[in-house]
Amino acid sequence: MAQVRLTGIAKAFGKVTALDAMDLMIDDGELVCLLGPSGSGKSTLLRLIGGFETPSEGTIAIDGVDVTHLPPERRPTAMVFQSHALWSHMTVHGNIAFGLKLRRLPRAEIRERVEKVLDLVGLAGYSARLPSQLSGGQQQRVALARSLVIEPKILLLDEPFASLDQHLRERLRDEVRDIQQRLGITAVFVTHGQDEALAISDRIVVLADGRMQQVGRPGEIYAEPKTAFVAGFIGAMNMLDGTLADGEIAAGGLRLAAEGSGAARLAIRPEDIALSEPEEGRTVTVRRMIDFGSHVVIDSTLVDGTHLRIQTDKTIRVEAGERVGIRVERWTVFAEGEAPRRYSSDTVRPFREARYA
Amino acid sequence: MIAALRSGMMGGRLSGLLLVALPVALLIWLVLWPVLQAMVGTVYFPGTGFSTASYAYFFTDDYSLRNLWLTLWVTALTSVLRVTVAMPIALYLRFRTGSVAALVQALALFPMFVPSVLVAYAFIRVLGPNGIVDTVLVALHLPKLMSPYLTPAGPIIGLVWDGLPLTLLLLLSGLGRVSIASVDAARDLGAGSWTLFTRIILPRIQSSIIVTLAFNVLGLFSAFTLPFLLGPASPEMMGPYMQRTFSDNADPLNATTQAVITFAFCAAFGLIYVRAIAKGRKGPA
Repeated sequence: MAQVRLTGIAKAFGKVTALDAMDLMIDDGELVCLLGPSGSGKSTLLRLIGGFETPSEGTIAIDGVDVTHLPPERRPTAMVFQSHALWSHMTVHGNIAFGLKLRRLPRAEIRERVEKVLDLVGLAGYSARLPSQLSGGQQQRVALARSLVIEPKILLLDEPFASLDQHLRERLRDEVRDIQQRLGITAVFVTHGQDEALAISDRIVVLADGRMQQVGRPGEIYAEPKTAFVAGFIGAMNMLDGTLADGEIAAGGLRLAAEGSGAARLAIRPEDIALSEPEEGRTVTVRRMIDFGSHVVIDSTLVDGTHLRIQTDKTIRVEAGERVGIRVERWTVFAEGEAPRRYSSDTVRPFREARYA
Repeated sequence: MIAALRSGMMGGRLSGLLLVALPVALLIWLVLWPVLQAMVGTVYFPGTGFSTASYAYFFTDDYSLRNLWLTLWVTALTSVLRVTVAMPIALYLRFRTGSVAALVQALALFPMFVPSVLVAYAFIRVLGPNGIVDTVLVALHLPKLMSPYLTPAGPIIGLVWDGLPLTLLLLLSGLGRVSIASVDAARDLGAGSWTLFTRIILPRIQSSIIVTLAFNVLGLFSAFTLPFLLGPASPEMMGPYMQRTFSDNADPLNATTQAVITFAFCAAFGLIYVRAIAKGRKGPA
């Protein structure tokens, strides 16, 4: 188990800044997800921790030891790559034993450790196969085993399941989480999938344009996004451009209680909108209904044509073109240069009823 | 539907056959037919019948055998030198980016655009007797250079320089199949540069190296310009030897016999090349 401390880490490729100065502390046994869209700098950050890139500024310490300028082979880390990166001319045993052979361990110990780790990843009996004889999921398990067998202090995973189908991805991410918790190993996991990050992380680091947007527990990031970017990136969100004035925000035809003045963005989760009886000024027109089995999503338009997604009970049935009433339960207002303000119909009602256009 | 599929497959086969028909016809007309004619012409003589006397002469003539031996070892050494020199450059270009890599690539490919005759004269002006190197050495009161000009080292140096770009491109093409992630994965587990090269990269570009060597041998065995201009007069490589036998000695039979023998050696390496290509197509390197 180990801690990672990043202090003032920045990376520039020529004139392009891939990562702006950032600080981050990853605790013993923690699984931290680096989440962000393409080009956000998440893989660069992981490669900096692994030693595949050298930071332009700042330091990286593992267990208090400065490893900023150490090459990958001298760091107590191991990385699982997106493309598996298995060596096609070696068997599964050869791939996994490679790191142990470099450490000149006795042959019997190598065999024992390879068998043990294969068992851990559910591939016992596959040691004689070539990577080309394995499925994509099995290949990724071998890549994981190859990294785990050298018992690294920090496990780095660079979008390891990106090339796998949804079902397999979900199964493997649960297995990785299970193995990580059983071994108590510190892990850094890069993904651009918010579901993946929310499902397996202890903490999520949201990155955009090389800057750290927010660090927090999955529930916290989802419920209390600190920036409009995080609000729009994590989970489904209705983001409406609006104007603050007279204790209200007017956006897309909706008027909700909010303090401040000037331009702002109104963020409403689809599940924070409830259906109600149609009333003047608080109705939407249904465009289509998507039945996900466990719940229903209604794609609708406000009076000015702005789209609004509503998530509701699976028993609800509405038709395209139907007009239905809505009630907004919770909303967040993002104004430039200010902390986000969160409201709920409960907190607002005592002094002002939520109003709808 | 099955009928439509079958008809589609038949159409695909037909278009495939049509695509290869022209090159195959040209190969037969311009290569195989002259080769066959040459081979037959060296063993069958209208009026007198079959005779292998010209081959017996070649393989018993000390001068011919010395020429063949010189060609063999110069070809082998030049091929190995080309791969040895090109490999570090190819590795550098495969795994590095930036302006320095671009400059290295431009310099390494430059010989491709220089005609062999110019290479030979530049060589003579620099390394030949009283060339630039000699002039500088004399000016510094140092002993004169043992010039490689008109020794086997002459064509070897010239041919290595001349063939470097093609060798580099062939190796780069093979290295393209070694992903950067697979190299990073080995580094991550503790592999140093030598281990990376011998245990990760080399096994995966074996077929590319065989192709590169075979390609080099094919070109070198019958090389003419550089061996003719830079090489020794005796023994001489097969290219100049064939030309001299044909033109200076006015002996087409022995020149054709030398050509058939040269073709036989090249065909053997051609077979190795074809097999390596076929193996490469079967699966990943």
